[in-house]
Amino acid sequence: MTARTRLRSAAELAFPGFVVGLLAGAAGGALTAFVAGSAGWALLATLALGVPLGLLGGGYGLVLATGRVRLGVFAPAALYWLVGFPLARLVHEVVTRLAVTGRVALPDDLLGFLTYQAVISAGYAIGFLWLHERIAPHWFARVGGHNPAAQRLVTRYVAHARSVRAARQRARSRRPGSRRRPNRPGQPDWSD
Amino acid sequence: MPIRKLPEAPPSIHLLGPTVFLVALGVGMGESYMWPRLVLVFGPEIRWLFLIGVTLQAVVMLEMARYAMATGESIFFGAARVFKPLMWFFFAVAILVYIWPGHLSAGAAAFERITGIPWVIAACVGLVLVGVVFSLAKVIYNLLENVLSLLIGVLVVGTAVIAALVGDWHDLSSTLAGMFHFGYFPSQALSESWFPIVVGSIAFAGPSGMQQMWYTLHLRDSGAGMGAHVPSIRGLRHAGAEEAMPARGFMFDTSDPGEMAKWRGWRRWVTFDALLLFWGITMLVTISFTVLAQAASRQNPDVRSLIESGDREAALNAMADAFSSVGGSALGTVFFGFIALIGLNATLGLFDSFSRGQADMTYFFVRGARRFRMAHLYAAYLWGLIAFGILILLFGPADGPSSILDILAFLSTFAMGAYCVVLLLVNNTLLPKPIRPKLPTNLVIGFGAVFYLGMLFYSLVRFGVVVG
Repeated sequence: MTARTRLRSAAELAFPGFVVGLLAGAAGGALTAFVAGSAGWALLATLALGVPLGLLGGGYGLVLATGRVRLGVFAPAALYWLVGFPLARLVHEVVTRLAVTGRVALPDDLLGFLTYQAVISAGYAIGFLWLHERIAPHWFARVGGHNPAAQRLVTRYVAHARSVRAARQRARSRRPGSRRRPNRPGQPDWSD
Repeated sequence: MPIRKLPEAPPSIHLLGPTVFLVALGVGMGESYMWPRLVLVFGPEIRWLFLIGVTLQAVVMLEMARYAMATGESIFFGAARVFKPLMWFFFAVAILVYIWPGHLSAGAAAFERITGIPWVIAACVGLVLVGVVFSLAKVIYNLLENVLSLLIGVLVVGTAVIAALVGDWHDLSSTLAGMFHFGYFPSQALSESWFPIVVGSIAFAGPSGMQQMWYTLHLRDSGAGMGAHVPSIRGLRHAGAEEAMPARGFMFDTSDPGEMAKWRGWRRWVTFDALLLFWGITMLVTISFTVLAQAASRQNPDVRSLIESGDREAALNAMADAFSSVGGSALGTVFFGFIALIGLNATLGLFDSFSRGQADMTYFFVRGARRFRMAHLYAAYLWGLIAFGILILLFGPADGPSSILDILAFLSTFAMGAYCVVLLLVNNTLLPKPIRPKLPTNLVIGFGAVFYLGMLFYSLVRFGVVVG
């Protein structure tokens, strides 16, 4: 596999997370930018928050591809964003201050700022994971033909869905030939 | 008692489940407006009552799930097993309380602010669209879970980002600290004008009225626990493909250790749903909107007085204006976008849930109804609700005739007390001993029954007004 193919493969794995992060960042970034009321500031603020969130979101896809994190499980995503979300907001703050004042400056109460963002990150993690799990399986299935890592993720998603469906079908298939068991004393009769 | 095998619980603690419906229904005006209002009036310390209200609802949710997952039956069926008139009471309350399209107005009004389209037109078109989409769906549950998941995902991500930008540590810490100020109850809150509102806000924190009962139908359709033995409801266009509904639920063999291990797996699955999704998201949205309200009232003192005065529309407009003054018109527009999104989520969830609940009770307990498929009954209730909704939006009072508003609020709260009693009865008498709730759970649900019914009647007797 050439370096270019590896890069493309990684980009494809990162794409769903990048899109979710970029969209979330774009929404928030645009709001901040409208303070100045110009398209230029809007773009700057969108990029300042959207790009860090997008890159970190993409990073989550790459972590998934390593196989060390179970699909769709909240705790790893929450831990990931506990660090990632405050970091992305810090980059956003610094870049915005740099653009407005022309000098690099951190938020006044850095500890309070980071703590607040860390608490909010739990909510962001739920929403991120929620959207990622809706978009990623479709995208990975689409690129899986030429991307073995994406194909492996598709296989994991399919195995998960299949095990849930199989359990349901097993339960259904037993329906006609069910056995009846006499009621224990004191138990209600369910056949009424 | 027909015994069936309990299916395996999902292999991982997966995020997507039927709780999405409860979140869609539960995160409404209470979270985005009522509690921010109480915080502005009484201070963040009042939020301990919200903590109690939402935690109580989380326990109720777990107990609703206990019955539905163990039997594949809805809680309405359970109520009928205990005392059939109780089920007909819920049937009547659902019609009386939920046929009025008033819940559409806030979301549609917010949509009007964004697009300029008159809210009545948007609401009528929205109603017809909901009907068409649900009628064309192959399996309604799957469609709705997909749509609501995306909408709520956007809502949660957006709320988190906006709260991250607008709020600060001081707002958040005071809001969070307020949740642990147990016992704080200012004398003003005991007044005739505020007591019913405070109690109503606690009762309606998270899902209110019959929403928890409908959750059992969504659990069944998602195939949770013994719900796997019951077919899903299909859209009208695909009604012919619907499998025949069994006449009753099923039970698994609770003396089999293997089955009990699977049961514990299902309980873990639903507990995760209750704690993280329901409790967590409800908390996140309320905290975020409270932080937003605090930020808005700092920007514009008029916001505080408008929110305190109780004029919801004026208060929401003032909040949007306050955000616009800080972040430009886009910020105000996005705020309205979120209100519209909450309204859309609630409408989708409510229409589906109402039709699902009424169809369930009709199918199982109205003589001759089994000539039809569940999909036909579902479609009949859905389109009936839509037709009535459009007529009322065009010609009548959207919230219902003003003369019966108090009765509707009374019935809604009374239903909550009643379902706590039903839960105690069905879970402790109908279920086999090994899977019955433990004493602490029963105490919490018993407290819920006493709280909802007690506060309802106390408010009536002491102040002569219904909670709301």
